[in-house]
Amino acid sequence: MKKMIANRKKMGTTLGFVSLAVAILTGILWSHQINQVAIPEDRTLFVAAFLAATGLGVAAFAIGTRWFGGIPAILAIAVGLFLPFTVAISPQQVAENPIRVGDTIPVFTALDDTGDRFRSGDLDGSPALIKFFRGHW
Amino acid sequence: MAELQREFDKRDVQVLTISTDKPEVIHKKRGAHRLKARMLSDRDLAVTDAFGLRNQLVHSGPPGDDVEALPVPTTLLVSSDGKVLWIDQAENYQRRSGPEVVLAALQTYLD
Repeated sequence: MKKMIANRKKMGTTLGFVSLAVAILTGILWSHQINQVAIPEDRTLFVAAFLAATGLGVAAFAIGTRWFGGIPAILAIAVGLFLPFTVAISPQQVAENPIRVGDTIPVFTALDDTGDRFRSGDLDGSPALIKFFRGHW
Repeated sequence: MAELQREFDKRDVQVLTISTDKPEVIHKKRGAHRLKARMLSDRDLAVTDAFGLRNQLVHSGPPGDDVEALPVPTTLLVSSDGKVLWIDQAENYQRRSGPEVVLAALQTYLD
């Protein structure tokens, strides 16, 4: 009986490490794709891989794991859930009347990074590339 | 985008960036962008709203930052008389266009 429990815990511990390996490998691939600006439109495989890591982590606890197998399992569960969560909240939608091609840009003013005021009138006479982005975030 | 600086210069294109970051944060981080751009701070989203680009879905901004929302990542090419020539917009913030898309727009609309 004791041996059976020990074997199960061994298996659970192994699963804990396997779950973290899946989470890390998927995470590395994900950040590589981000750096290449090449996150695919269909992210199902990534989400499946992250959720698999979570599933394996949960399975490690269900089977029973030693304490040092529990740590990677918890990490895998957290990483595995966090990234699909960011995928879920990533869709963007603008207001009803966003600016469109052919429109004249509105008059605006804002402070730049040195605290100087910029006015859209300053653009007069030269084309511009205006990039709205999420900032340092 | 910094790799396009020569292309911008060649066509006399001014580059503006707009984010909800505080001016001092933009100043601190701007080295990472390596871009000769006027980087504007839009804390109250006045510019973002004037363009109608406030994201209406989940906020997903930096935790602890008191900004109300973030803009939908969008790049606009504007002519010398202020008309929008081209728009590139992200349907989700994890996907964005590379510099080659901007270069193609410069070539199509300004050459």
